[in-house]
Amino acid sequence: MYGRILLVEDDPSIREVTTLGLRGAGFEVVSASDGPAGLERFLTDAPDLVLLDIMLPRLDGLEVARTIRKTSTTPIVMLTARGDTIDVVVGLEAGADDYVRKPFEMPELVARIRAALRRRGAEAGGAPVSRIRLGPLEVDPSGRTVSRGGDEIGLTRTEFDLLVELASRPGQVLTREVLLDRIWGYDYLGDSRLVDVAVGRLRAKVERDPAAPELILTVRGAGYKAARPAAET
Amino acid sequence: MGGIRRRLAAALVALVAVTVLGLGVGTYLFVEARLRDSLLADAARQAQFNLSVLVPGVLTPGTDAATFEATGLPAAFRLRGDVEEIVDFGSGRPFYSTGALDGAITALPTSLRSAVAAGQLAFAWQSLGGQAALIVGGRAPVPVAADGSSDAAGPAFYFVFPASSIDEALAQLRLGLFAAAAVALLLALATARLFANGILQPVRSGSQAAARIAAGDLSARVPGGGRDELGAWAAEFNRMADSLAATISRLEASESQNRRFVAEVAHELRTPLTALVAEASLIEAGAAQLPPDARRAAELLVGDVRRLRTLVEELMELSRFDARAQSAELGPVDVFAAVRSIAGARLPAATLDLPADPVVIDADLRRLDRIIGNLLDNARTHAPGAPVEVTVAGTDDGRSVEISVADRGPGVSAEALPHLFDRFYKADPSRRSGSSGLGLAIAAEHAALLGGSIGAADRVGGGLVFTVRLPVTRSLPGGDGSVMAEAEA
Repeated sequence: MYGRILLVEDDPSIREVTTLGLRGAGFEVVSASDGPAGLERFLTDAPDLVLLDIMLPRLDGLEVARTIRKTSTTPIVMLTARGDTIDVVVGLEAGADDYVRKPFEMPELVARIRAALRRRGAEAGGAPVSRIRLGPLEVDPSGRTVSRGGDEIGLTRTEFDLLVELASRPGQVLTREVLLDRIWGYDYLGDSRLVDVAVGRLRAKVERDPAAPELILTVRGAGYKAARPAAET
Repeated sequence: MGGIRRRLAAALVALVAVTVLGLGVGTYLFVEARLRDSLLADAARQAQFNLSVLVPGVLTPGTDAATFEATGLPAAFRLRGDVEEIVDFGSGRPFYSTGALDGAITALPTSLRSAVAAGQLAFAWQSLGGQAALIVGGRAPVPVAADGSSDAAGPAFYFVFPASSIDEALAQLRLGLFAAAAVALLLALATARLFANGILQPVRSGSQAAARIAAGDLSARVPGGGRDELGAWAAEFNRMADSLAATISRLEASESQNRRFVAEVAHELRTPLTALVAEASLIEAGAAQLPPDARRAAELLVGDVRRLRTLVEELMELSRFDARAQSAELGPVDVFAAVRSIAGARLPAATLDLPADPVVIDADLRRLDRIIGNLLDNARTHAPGAPVEVTVAGTDDGRSVEISVADRGPGVSAEALPHLFDRFYKADPSRRSGSSGLGLAIAAEHAALLGGSIGAADRVGGGLVFTVRLPVTRSLPGGDGSVMAEAEA
């Protein structure tokens, strides 16, 4: 068993074929057909990952994601309508870690789910890394905590991974493609908005003035980098 | 406009000028004749009286120029009116009542003198001593001598009446007539102008309204009113505009209904399509376990589902353009690097001709990918195996960047060329290609959204060349790979 996935999807055909495909790929699948039922199953079945449709009866996927995020860092992958930029951005801002556009072929979906689960596995089994300092921030990769002046800052899984990725290489420019590959596991041309949205959310939490970032800098036309410590520049 | 006004003014002024000239000349001639008639009648009466009443009994046979003054006749004549006289005694020494007339006898018209010599009462208009005058001449009755004998003829009297008052009156009349004519002409001009404006104003507002309609403002109307032909014209114009606006809004409504319908159909198709795509992908994975016939059917199914997916997705993409729901997320894009990576992903066989330096413009990478990718797909579908060249170059004015995709395929006919970007257009309807017929239309929409354009042309030596032109909207750093750390909004 590779992991337990909670699938929340209202269309019976999509729900059934997705369940079939995921089971075929070795996952255990539990499913729900609307928002409240999805939340209930999340609590009773403790899934390793949530696959969430956005358009759901009674309580939409965004609300479900926000509710889950209040208490849990379980990876959430959104199923969005293709090309709906708003859906993508809003979904990520509601706390989703990644998204898959409809329609999708099963191998694609399975790959996204495996990537999200692998990151989690890597954290759990990864060797402890020494603490990293970035400006006033103190990052503890093994304890997965970030603090500023002793106050802990709550970050999601994706935000934390992004911060560690950047902060462990101060001054080095990481392109969006590299970040997509390392954080989200995309090994093809993915959607750079994932990176931009995640960076925006991270800045909102760690920068003094998110509009004038001092720690995580944009390199125009290239990507992002963490600021070098003052002593080195 | 100016032409009509000038023609109208000229016509009115000519009319007024002819009328005024006719009236003026007629009046002048009439008044002159009456004045002269009246002076002549007066003068003739006076001359008659002088000759028949005053002269007889006073004039003696011995009277000559030297003694005439003493007869008291000149004084008596003057009492009757303002008159001077020349008396010709036949002696070669005429009498002149005033020095101003000295020698004037020779200036008298011969017709007058001969008529007088024949004993008639005659007149002539003649300027004497620098003064316009009426001269009335007549012969005095034969004076009777003391001895009862009489001369054969008495002296000839020429009464000179001043006529300058007539000339003065006529001069004043001329002045008055000229002034009146001038006033009439000015009035004619002003009237022509007012009249022309009265006609031209509606014409002008009509052409303004027509220009606004031509520019797309269907609410433009001509101010109405008036029961004349112009009023009727304005009403007709407005009726035409109303019907045009109604037709267009009906067409727009039906078009937007059509587009909404397409959008809804595509949207409704998405849920079953999502299930289909996922199902087909599972069937594909398990196809190897199927018996041969079913396996072939499964392969066809998978291919058809992919085609359906492309079609629906492209329809949805277009319907988002139609709904104006698309917006470009502009950011600095290195066209050089973007084209290289797009070509590498979509058609690695393509030959690239890229500038030495990176070209950075304001664009949207994902849209650029749709444009170039669709052009490359088109080249691959319609010219399979033929070499494809992708070129990036700045235009000479530095305002745009041109990306061209050139193939060596069969090309299309000249009639088909302008329609390549139409939706569902296929240059050769009989040929079943794998494309939906929407790819180029989508590329054109994306290019327009980026503020650019896209065009197709025949290529020398066969094939087609598609050129995407994108604006360089601001100068951006590039070339040296300069790294700028800056705030992101």
